[in-house]
Amino acid sequence: MTMNNTMIDVRDVRKSFGSLEVLKKVSLQIAPNEVVAVIGPSGSGKSTMLRSLAHLEQVDAGSIRIGNDYLVQDGKYASSAKIKEITARMGMVFQHFNLFPHLTVRGNLELAPKLVKRLPAAEARDRASALLEKVGLLEKGDAYPANLSGGQKQRVAIARALMMNPEILLFDEPTSALDPELTGEVLQVMRQLAEERMTMVVVTHEMGFAREVADRVIFMADGEFIESGTPEQLFGNPRQERTKTFLNRVL
Amino acid sequence: MSMDYFWEITGPMLEGAKTTVLLFFLAIVTSIPLGFAITLVVRSRFKPLAWLANAFIYVMRGTPLLLQMLFFCFGLPVLPVIGEYLVLDRFVAAALAFTLNYAAYFAEIFRGGLLAIDKGQYEAAQVLGLGRFHTMTRIILPQMFRIALPAVSNEAITLVKDTALLYAVAVPELLHFAKTAVNRDFTIMPFVIAGVIYLVMTLILTLFFKILERKFKFD
Repeated sequence: MTMNNTMIDVRDVRKSFGSLEVLKKVSLQIAPNEVVAVIGPSGSGKSTMLRSLAHLEQVDAGSIRIGNDYLVQDGKYASSAKIKEITARMGMVFQHFNLFPHLTVRGNLELAPKLVKRLPAAEARDRASALLEKVGLLEKGDAYPANLSGGQKQRVAIARALMMNPEILLFDEPTSALDPELTGEVLQVMRQLAEERMTMVVVTHEMGFAREVADRVIFMADGEFIESGTPEQLFGNPRQERTKTFLNRVL
Repeated sequence: MSMDYFWEITGPMLEGAKTTVLLFFLAIVTSIPLGFAITLVVRSRFKPLAWLANAFIYVMRGTPLLLQMLFFCFGLPVLPVIGEYLVLDRFVAAALAFTLNYAAYFAEIFRGGLLAIDKGQYEAAQVLGLGRFHTMTRIILPQMFRIALPAVSNEAITLVKDTALLYAVAVPELLHFAKTAVNRDFTIMPFVIAGVIYLVMTLILTLFFKILERKFKFD
């Protein structure tokens, strides 16, 4: 694979929390416009892997390349200015939304573009309106997060991430904190983004979503990359014993 | 009790209440920013400084406010050599003690506010590209002040009542004039009136903070 057709290149990444090894030499490549679902049991290291891409965790060894820039190369991190530049190309959506409770929905969306990108207020406002419309929440612009349902909060969080124009969107179990009847509206927005060919990495327990929307599904267990394939391959004909055991348990 | 007598004793008490209110405002507007600064120092990565701030909080919270007032009023001037330069006006010395004492409490309140903020807030700010300064001023501090508000309100009410400690260093304030009237006229009424005046002051403060809490409810 040449540099240009990988968007994210993770090589031999290791990470421990104390004596617990959460990532044991994980490697994976993600192409531009690819939608990848990462599945696996709790504690498999999939969230840690995702958080490492956004520099919310620091890895101990290995390389992470985003586009043509190394976030970390052979365990050595880029300068903090460079890290900022690289991570600015990614947006992240969290399990617990992490909306700013003291700001309205619009405030949540407009804060970073205004402060970080120096976007003029009128432009930020227009962009926020467009994205709120996209996630179906235009009428909630002046509401505070406390008055939104979980599904609405997560849609606001997605719109907030999109405000920064990311090339890659990372989702860390975006529907795990939601009531089952509210996951649909969030998955619908994610499906739409996938159709628009946004590069997405989605750590999820939603097998239905992984099967329907992902171009590729990666199975991780015990801090290791076990196998990956198209949804048909992975769900229909898993090669590894551990994958089979996991799928039998969750499907 | 005639109306004339009521005003005869209440007039001086209201006059004294001005001192009470002055001390209250002086202490609150200085101790809140100072307390916040101490919180930041406690959390600073430069350990000796953090240790010093913790020691300050320990001393100011661990000794009586009355002792601190007496220390500044009557203790400092008797220090050898430098004592003669440390003769402060008694009101000023008392205000200094109040400021330092309440700053220690506010520092702890703000620290608690910071601890109550979910780490997801820092992470969200980071992935949105906000730097340390903007994360602090736009995300963390507004939430910290909101969380701290009920406790700050509580401290402010305590402060109103603590101003009565001025009595001990003979700065004439509300309680001083009440006591004078009781001694002179052998009547309990001045104490009752003083109590009512304190209640009015704390009521105003309670309402003020209630409004503030409602305004910053974020829903």
